Amino acid sequence: MRYLLECEVVENDEVAPEQFRMRINAPELSRTAIAGQFCMLQVAEGLSPFLRRPMCFERIQRDHVSILYKAEGEGTRLLSKMRPGTTLNVQGPLGNGFPIDDSFERHIIVSGGIGVATFPALAEAIVRKCDVAPEVILAARSKHLILCADEFRELGCKVYIATDDGSAGEKLFASQMLEKLRPNPSCRVYVCGPMIMMKTTSDVAMAAGADCVVSLEAQMACGDGACLGCVVESKSEKEGEKMVRVCLDGPVFDTTMIDWAAHNMAYDR
Amino acid sequence: MTTGTTAATTPNLGIDLGGLKMKNPVTVASGTFGYGAEYSQYFDIGRLGAVTTKSLSLKPRAGNKPPRLVETPAGMLNAIGLQNVGIETYLSEKLPFLRAKCATIIANIYGHSADEYVELARRIDSEGAGDAIEANLSCPNVHDARKAKGAVLVSQDPRCVEEYTRAIRAVTKLPLIVKLTPNVMDITEPALAAEAAGADALCLINTLLGLAIDAETRRPRLSNIVGGLSGPAIRPVAVKMVWDARRAVKIPIIGTGGICQADDAIEFLLAGATAVSVGSMNFRQPDAAIRVLEGIEDYLLRHEIENVSELVGAMKA
Repeated sequence: MRYLLECEVVENDEVAPEQFRMRINAPELSRTAIAGQFCMLQVAEGLSPFLRRPMCFERIQRDHVSILYKAEGEGTRLLSKMRPGTTLNVQGPLGNGFPIDDSFERHIIVSGGIGVATFPALAEAIVRKCDVAPEVILAARSKHLILCADEFRELGCKVYIATDDGSAGEKLFASQMLEKLRPNPSCRVYVCGPMIMMKTTSDVAMAAGADCVVSLEAQMACGDGACLGCVVESKSEKEGEKMVRVCLDGPVFDTTMIDWAAHNMAYDR
Repeated sequence: MTTGTTAATTPNLGIDLGGLKMKNPVTVASGTFGYGAEYSQYFDIGRLGAVTTKSLSLKPRAGNKPPRLVETPAGMLNAIGLQNVGIETYLSEKLPFLRAKCATIIANIYGHSADEYVELARRIDSEGAGDAIEANLSCPNVHDARKAKGAVLVSQDPRCVEEYTRAIRAVTKLPLIVKLTPNVMDITEPALAAEAAGADALCLINTLLGLAIDAETRRPRLSNIVGGLSGPAIRPVAVKMVWDARRAVKIPIIGTGGICQADDAIEFLLAGATAVSVGSMNFRQPDAAIRVLEGIEDYLLRHEIENVSELVGAMKA
């Protein structure tokens, strides 16, 4: 079931420079959504920006869902200005969530930058269903972009911090930090971040024989699988299955089905 | 305003679009509604005047490489490149759902040649896979943008429009709608060509060609470089083209381009469209088409109009 809801914004706080957490009162979503799914938010009453903004669920709680986002473009800047009490049109839950399987001995979450936004809900679900706390790698360009470390620690997760500039944790890329944790075939690795980071981290996970899933991001118009705007290339040889939709076939994919070599990183910002 | 004492009669929303009986004038633009199932979680798609399918080709198509979509002021540019499941999968997997929902179906087709359109029309006709056929002679995203110059879309050349329409006409008695591009000097030329070759209706307009460039990276925002502009940004252009075509041809027109609410649809009717299709707005508001339909009904009640067809071409100039 997908809903179209008018929801009340309960909180909308700047948790780090330009990074916001919005909590929305949406019992219909919180009761049905699972970690890894997303919603589409209508950021403007008027017709520009025209499209909704896809946002994954950071937390899925009793009557609320929260999202974590970077105020970067026109849409997210408008979102960041919404005051508590404002009504927001929300469409969801959409897409496929993370698979959760307690047969894995270790669960390793690897986040890059604002890619962390999908993981607190996942960590919570893994703790609940597998009775084991995932190991969490938080990677970002710099210290102030490391988010949610305390949230993960509160869930019992061991947190490893990696920054490009060495301003917090170790001066490593996410993929290098994953290597240090020595993943093996009894691990499942969950990755979300910039495309280049997801590719390199997937490579490390696959080389170690670990199971690896990625949560992809794309420009999206509908969120329902109709517009075909958000596709990425899969490894399928069949013409009709070559392009997979991030919104409906994903956003969580087994990394082995994505044709990473075909993805043109030059278009990523 | 109607007075409270007058019992308002339910207005008649039914129309005849060149032989296609529609219970109301609202359909959806091809490519913005998938194959119907994508939106059936939000409303009963059988309530629409018709569901227009994504363009169907003989073989499945992967479409263009991503990125294929970019938002623009009050609209969007796309270069999907006709990704679709192909006619066989449509027949086996998509059509049964549409029939189960009692949807009136406009099957949109795309071919690489007149022969392919003919083959598709034959299949749709013989399989009972559509209540009408819409020939997409105007997709802007299936040629190499780097080489594009001159008439590259079938519907940019009136002689091609005539040839293709005549070929399709010869193999089907289903109502035939021809969808034209706005990327021409004079819309009446391809419109007249389609009419002369036996089209039962026109669909105006497909997307306007556009280009968006990322200033920071100096790269086009679409891998195809150019794409088709849609959304409310293009509506006045579309309304004007409907108005132009209306005065040139006798066959009915589906007006489309940036319809977001009922008033926008009424604009198209007043300009001369018999039916309307909601396009990109489906992406923003998944139940937009039903809202437009309900708004038209309200409008008719408010203005005490018995038949929606009374509005067609009724602009006071």
